[in-house]
Amino acid sequence: MSVFATLLMNGIANGALYFLLAAGLTLIFGLMRVVNFAHGGLFLWGAYISTFLFTSTHNFLLSILMGVVVSAVLGLVIEKLLLSNVSHNGNAQILMTMGVMLVLQELVKLPFGQDEVSSDVPAFLNQSWVVGHVVLIQYQIFTIVLGLLVFAALLLLLFKTRVGMVIRAGVVNPELVLARGIAIKTMFSLVFAIGAGLAGFAGALSGPYFGAVTPDMGMNLQLDAFIIVVVGGIGSLTGSFVGSFVIGIVTAFVSYQFPSYAVLVDVGVMAVVLLIRPNGLFGKQEVTS
Amino acid sequence: MKGRLVKRIGLLLIVLLLVVFPHMSGGSGNLSLLEQVFPFAVFAMSYDVLIGFTGIVSFGHAMFFGLGAYAVSVCLNQGNSTTGSLILGFAISLGASLVLSILVAMLSLRIRDTYFAMITLAVGQTLFVLAGSQSLRDVTNAGDGLTILTPDWLTSDASIYYFALAFLVVSAVVLARFVKSPVGQVLKGMRENESRMQAIGFSLFRFKTMAFLVSGVFAALAGGVYAVVQMFVSTDVFSVSTSLNVLLMTIIGGVGTLYGGVLGAFIILFAQTEFGNLAGTYPFLNHYMIIFGLLYIVVVKFMPRGILGYFYTRRGRTTWKKSFATSNKSTM
Repeated sequence: MSVFATLLMNGIANGALYFLLAAGLTLIFGLMRVVNFAHGGLFLWGAYISTFLFTSTHNFLLSILMGVVVSAVLGLVIEKLLLSNVSHNGNAQILMTMGVMLVLQELVKLPFGQDEVSSDVPAFLNQSWVVGHVVLIQYQIFTIVLGLLVFAALLLLLFKTRVGMVIRAGVVNPELVLARGIAIKTMFSLVFAIGAGLAGFAGALSGPYFGAVTPDMGMNLQLDAFIIVVVGGIGSLTGSFVGSFVIGIVTAFVSYQFPSYAVLVDVGVMAVVLLIRPNGLFGKQEVTS
Repeated sequence: MKGRLVKRIGLLLIVLLLVVFPHMSGGSGNLSLLEQVFPFAVFAMSYDVLIGFTGIVSFGHAMFFGLGAYAVSVCLNQGNSTTGSLILGFAISLGASLVLSILVAMLSLRIRDTYFAMITLAVGQTLFVLAGSQSLRDVTNAGDGLTILTPDWLTSDASIYYFALAFLVVSAVVLARFVKSPVGQVLKGMRENESRMQAIGFSLFRFKTMAFLVSGVFAALAGGVYAVVQMFVSTDVFSVSTSLNVLLMTIIGGVGTLYGGVLGAFIILFAQTEFGNLAGTYPFLNHYMIIFGLLYIVVVKFMPRGILGYFYTRRGRTTWKKSFATSNKSTM
């Protein structure tokens, strides 16, 4: 029972971290119809920059903040330089972002090398308690709280502000939004920067979460994020939220029994969901015959 | 008509050149590069059937390549490297790739294409994990890879070279026929205008599945030949970077040109070998993947039709101008 509860706790914390990554992916897709294959690269840069900064300055807040800012700026540059003029061509976008992913991943190896770089948990978050028979780790709780806060903030942004209204309108009919005199391209850039920033945020949190950062983690977590958005229904924020916790919990339980097989089971979950609901749990109907 | 004749003679000349090449070149280094190029060329052509003629992007095409490579390697290893086990290996890679492609198509092609790239990436990763998993060590030797022995008639450099070359030529002919067949025409139609083809009454799902199937089978056979050429197979054949390499080969050579894949495979593998050689003197070339990534972005942005596609468009433009000029003259 105690193992079960501990694993459940791990899974929920995994889910919160995954959600930060998946939320950005799904936001970008929802508005711009771009599957951002560079998302894992932005995550990776967030992870390395904040790990590097925290090791050298020991200022946790600054390191997280810089991770977010750098990733958001990178995302903005990618969107402006590479994506804005192929917006009509889905395949070019996929190929382009995958190329960016490759470059981002290899660039990280130049200064930091192929091997993992250890990443410390700040002292004020580095506690754990045993309640009953369940181990509670402070950093995990911190991650869960942040995940929930981001979910709430995104819901507020999307449903209670004018910007959010424009974004939601852009999802349904971008031409009409443009016709109303709203600069939708600026909205695209804004959403891309938010999504990239979220990826950087997830990366910045993931260093201390996993205890180390590696050049491969970008691609690996990107895979998890893809599985999540496919399970939840791409473009649906709630779907990503639910999907994150499903995949997070599944990963925690499978990893406990068979460490390297988590991705197999995750893909299995995705396959089952796709067979029953081809558009994902919360996705809109878009099945071709 | 004349253009087609020129193209055929050109292709024939290239094949002849490749046939006599082993007798002309002294070093076996060139030979081993070409031996690698041949299976990758087929791999890239099979990928072009997907991206170039159907317009769908897969990031997990290495799953077929790896499947073929492992099927052949495992069969040769378990069957004491007899000719029968080699044939059985190719038969298994054929069957397994058929099953796998149908499964993946069932999962992903029913929905919009954007899912396809994500799902193939994920499925490819599972095969990568499976091939390297400890519980299958008896069969696959886990992460250490398998060294294989080929049948007696397929051990000399020359015989392997001609084996791979024959495979390339046969595959190129079959794939070219497929692309020109009525099914191929429907696929091109779908690439250009999906909703119109659907409105005419073609089932998107059925035709895309067909393209994926053909593409998967040839990728798997190419993987098998690659294993024979290398006499070694490791989990690398399943990795994402293998999928990305073949994608790069295809788009550099020219998406939708089929033979562009051969050119792309040669360029990329040649560059890889050269970078590897030069890395001793210039250590930064160890990070040649950065160059490949940049190349990738540059090609997609500035040369979306690739090298061969670029020449095709140019030729189209000039012939059009010429015929326009002559027809003007005749009316005057």
